Amino acid sequence: MSVPAAQMWAVAAYVLRQKLRGRRRYPLVLMLEPLFRCNLACAGCGKIQYPAQILRKQLSVEQCLRAVEECGAPIVSIPGGEPLMYPEIGRLVDELVRRGKYVYLCTNAIQLKEKLEAGLFTPSGHLSFSVHLDGPRAEHDESVCREGVYDQAVEGIREALRRGFRVTTNSTLFEGASPLRMREFFDEMMDLGVEGMMVSPGYSYSKAPDQEHFLRKSRTHELFARMLSKPKWRWRFNQSPLFLRFLMGKHDYECTPWGNPTFNLFGWQRPCYLLQEGYAHSFQDLMENTRWERYGRKSGNAKCRDCMVHCGFEATAVNETFGSLRGFVETVAVTVTGRL
Amino acid sequence: MTEPETTLEGWAPEPGPDLPLERIIDLAFDYRGNTTVVLTDGTELQGYVSNRNADAGEPFIQMFDADGAGPRTIPYSRIRTIKFTGRDTAAGNSYALWRGRRETGGAGRDERARGER
Repeated sequence: MSVPAAQMWAVAAYVLRQKLRGRRRYPLVLMLEPLFRCNLACAGCGKIQYPAQILRKQLSVEQCLRAVEECGAPIVSIPGGEPLMYPEIGRLVDELVRRGKYVYLCTNAIQLKEKLEAGLFTPSGHLSFSVHLDGPRAEHDESVCREGVYDQAVEGIREALRRGFRVTTNSTLFEGASPLRMREFFDEMMDLGVEGMMVSPGYSYSKAPDQEHFLRKSRTHELFARMLSKPKWRWRFNQSPLFLRFLMGKHDYECTPWGNPTFNLFGWQRPCYLLQEGYAHSFQDLMENTRWERYGRKSGNAKCRDCMVHCGFEATAVNETFGSLRGFVETVAVTVTGRL
Repeated sequence: MTEPETTLEGWAPEPGPDLPLERIIDLAFDYRGNTTVVLTDGTELQGYVSNRNADAGEPFIQMFDADGAGPRTIPYSRIRTIKFTGRDTAAGNSYALWRGRRETGGAGRDERARGER
């Protein structure tokens, strides 16, 4: 596993504080979407289909910072839309780093090299570029519906690494993904020098164009079990080992929809990053007035039945690590041995 | 086999026993295009329905105007119906269409990318 020790410690201390305070529900990662605009239109994405006046809008930095303070999560992930298209992304990231947040800037990296050359960002242990790459060149370009994007992303990654930035990759896998090709992709990323990789099955957004290629639960287990069996020692994943084992079918977790709350132009999204059932006017409203019993696998909600996405289950895995001796020992064992 | 795409674009429903207003509001909230909200006094408001809360003490919707101003909050009790007048931005972008464009050499233009204007 590749999460830096300081970040791991910060998250562990945060989780333990929540437990000591007896908080049953607490956020782990704030998903902050300052805009919906994107310079891609990926087949699996349901995030950018809005009329023009909505796509032109964006949150102010002040609105973003208020949301960050309200939420209190130690990690802030900035997806979108494409966050590098947000005109104030440099100032937003600076402010978040100054507040001690761990920032994952989730980007397709098309504009990464240009923004780095413009001096928009300063390297920090608190800032990681999380570059969207859904596999090797052919698979990624197909996934994002544009040829040449993989090469642009790799160029951006190289530039970021050369300048001393933390870089991780974020891969969403769909039906038809090849375990063998993904293992080759992991090798490529390690050769490139990224700090770590994140992998997750895709979610079947009702608004995404491609509804045929999302993974169902048993297929997810099969794919991840084959892809991650006998992992190479050099592979580093920037996520909970227990979550990876969950994807491989070695655990059966329940979703933690409040673990990654989402804030965007419309407010606090109910109930999670993936489902849009309405918006709360404040973080407190989200936490207190969302009918959480309607969501997760045990609820019987058809929209949740096959979901195994990290925004719902990584928080469960982290809670397992710090909430049970068994989970803690298992996490340590996987981390030390590298055996999933 | 890909199912034919369906869209509510152009639909102008009238609430009734088989189609309660609450259902029309749910569909409008789920719709990824502009709508026309017709109020009980006959006023018509064009824009994007960004939120609805049927569980609130006084159920309401929130919408952004066609020029992006908002959101304004409108109680259910003031709404007569909602017409699906704007283009459905989630329609016509099927994976099958993209594959077709790709096979004819047009995918590189990425005609579906949003927000670069």
